Amino acid sequence: MSDLKTDVLVIGAGPAGSMTAKWAAKNGAKVVMIEKRQEIGSPVRCGEGISKSWLEGVGIKPGRWINLEVEGARIFSPSEKVFEINEKDAGNEVGYVVERTAFDKQLAIDAANVGVDVFLKTAAVTMLKENGRIVGAKVKRSGETFEIHAPVTIGADGFESQVGRWAGIPTNISTRDMDTCLQYRMTNVDCDVRYCDFYLGKVAPGGYVWIFPKAEGLANVGIGVQVSKVTAMADARTYLDRWIDHHPGYAKGKKIDMVGGGVSISAPIKQTVADGIMLVGDAARMIDPLTGGGIANGCIAGKICGTVAAEAVHAGTPTKEFFQKYEKGWRALLEEKLYRNWLAKEKLVQLSDEVFDKVIDVLQGYKLEKLSVHNILKAVHEKYPEVTKEFEEFL
Amino acid sequence: MPGKKHLHIESSGQLCIYCGACVGICPLNCIYLDETRITFDEKVCTRCEICVKACPVGAIEIG
Ligand SMILES: Cc1cc2nc3c(=O)[nH]c(=O)nc-3n(C[C@H](O)[C@H](O)[C@H](O)COP(=O)(O)OP(=O)(O)OC[C@H]3O[C@@H](n4cnc5c(N)ncnc54)[C@H](O)[C@@H]3O)c2cc1C
Ligand code: SF4
Ligand code: SF4
Repeated sequence: MSDLKTDVLVIGAGPAGSMTAKWAAKNGAKVVMIEKRQEIGSPVRCGEGISKSWLEGVGIKPGRWINLEVEGARIFSPSEKVFEINEKDAGNEVGYVVERTAFDKQLAIDAANVGVDVFLKTAAVTMLKENGRIVGAKVKRSGETFEIHAPVTIGADGFESQVGRWAGIPTNISTRDMDTCLQYRMTNVDCDVRYCDFYLGKVAPGGYVWIFPKAEGLANVGIGVQVSKVTAMADARTYLDRWIDHHPGYAKGKKIDMVGGGVSISAPIKQTVADGIMLVGDAARMIDPLTGGGIANGCIAGKICGTVAAEAVHAGTPTKEFFQKYEKGWRALLEEKLYRNWLAKEKLVQLSDEVFDKVIDVLQGYKLEKLSVHNILKAVHEKYPEVTKEFEEFL
Repeated sequence: MPGKKHLHIESSGQLCIYCGACVGICPLNCIYLDETRITFDEKVCTRCEICVKACPVGAIEIG
């Protein structure tokens, strides 16, 4: 294949990439989106739980990618006291369990339908640079290497993200700021289709075990463990297998699929743009550090990123200065919550099982007007003031 | 390089599930994953062992 020219080159066809590509094309830019896999959305690296409040705002219509709608979430303490959050309390934070392959494909179709050219089995292998600015990427397809030139390049290459680092944007994360994840799709299990379940404490150091129901008897059973807490004795799989062994309703089930991956649980990074390039989604470390969810933030930022990309093309100014519009735009919507949740996570990972039990004990049967870290701590403070001492800055 | 320990990624399908967790955290950005092919740059790798901990299935060994 000979070299190509386009206005916007999007690297990675996950939700963030497809969303960015779509909004750039909708705003009149010529867009090429490359994806190194042969099938968009597969294999899945996801628990497939999303909230639904944000979908409309970014132009995603409900479709066949929805498996089911849950009524709420249940949080289990180490001694398995339960705190139930229903949809109303959570302010629409709970929502759908989705089929990620179908979801990712739908977003790619939406992008293609507004004119985005999608190249599969095409991997970026390095950045093209001119006078210090990024002007596209060298890509590889079936052993063949060629160049795609573009005034605007988008790094939407997910958690693995190499694009940002190739471009000189510091996106490295420490072992404290990453969870290593493993998940089985299991059938013949006693899941409750009304809830997404979360198990906290030593069962998953620095993370949690999740059960997201796909249908009666079918669920995603997964775990995230903070990398800094992994020892030579136990990797994420060891923890997950141990949890399953201790839960007869799951131990009797059958595993039909296994996926893994990394999730960043860092504070927002300082820089997501440089001359000729913007990063979006997991590549820009936009995952919520408390929940580990990244689909919504990737899509929300993607809409802004694509819009700014097209504007930069029209104005002929794909510069770091111009891209501040994106940098500021996504931060205005997401940064405060990311930062707050990162602080909360930093505290949570230090809690002992005993404290988790106390917290959930208080929350059991408690009516929270609105679910927030602040309200939870206030409730705990009333019963166990000693527990909340450490959290005073939140109160 | 003499003195460097041996790093092995069990990527023949026995252990590695091609999840990219090691790629994302390697501080030297020296691991590459393409579908079911995973390689690392022998010369750049410092054997810091961070990828070993990040792998959810214990597919990376240094010794
Ligand atoms: C086990 C697990 C469970 C999770 N559960 C949830 C959950 O329940 N809810 C939630 O909201 N989030 C969850 N997340 C996080 C969520 O999966 C991500 O936040 C989301 O996929 C981010 O979308 P993205 O578009 O930024 O990146 P991705 O979806 O990772 O897409 C990046 C794409 O780029 C491609 N790519 C990478 N490098 C290149 C290259 N060099 N050239 C071309 N293409 C390339 C990849 O193949 C991939 O298709 C989970 C993550 C893991 C690992
Ligand atoms: S040992 Fe360290 S430098 Fe080498 S591949 Fe693993 S993470 Fe990268
Ligand atoms: S983290 Fe482990 S399973 Fe995942 S790609 Fe790396 S070696 Fe393979």
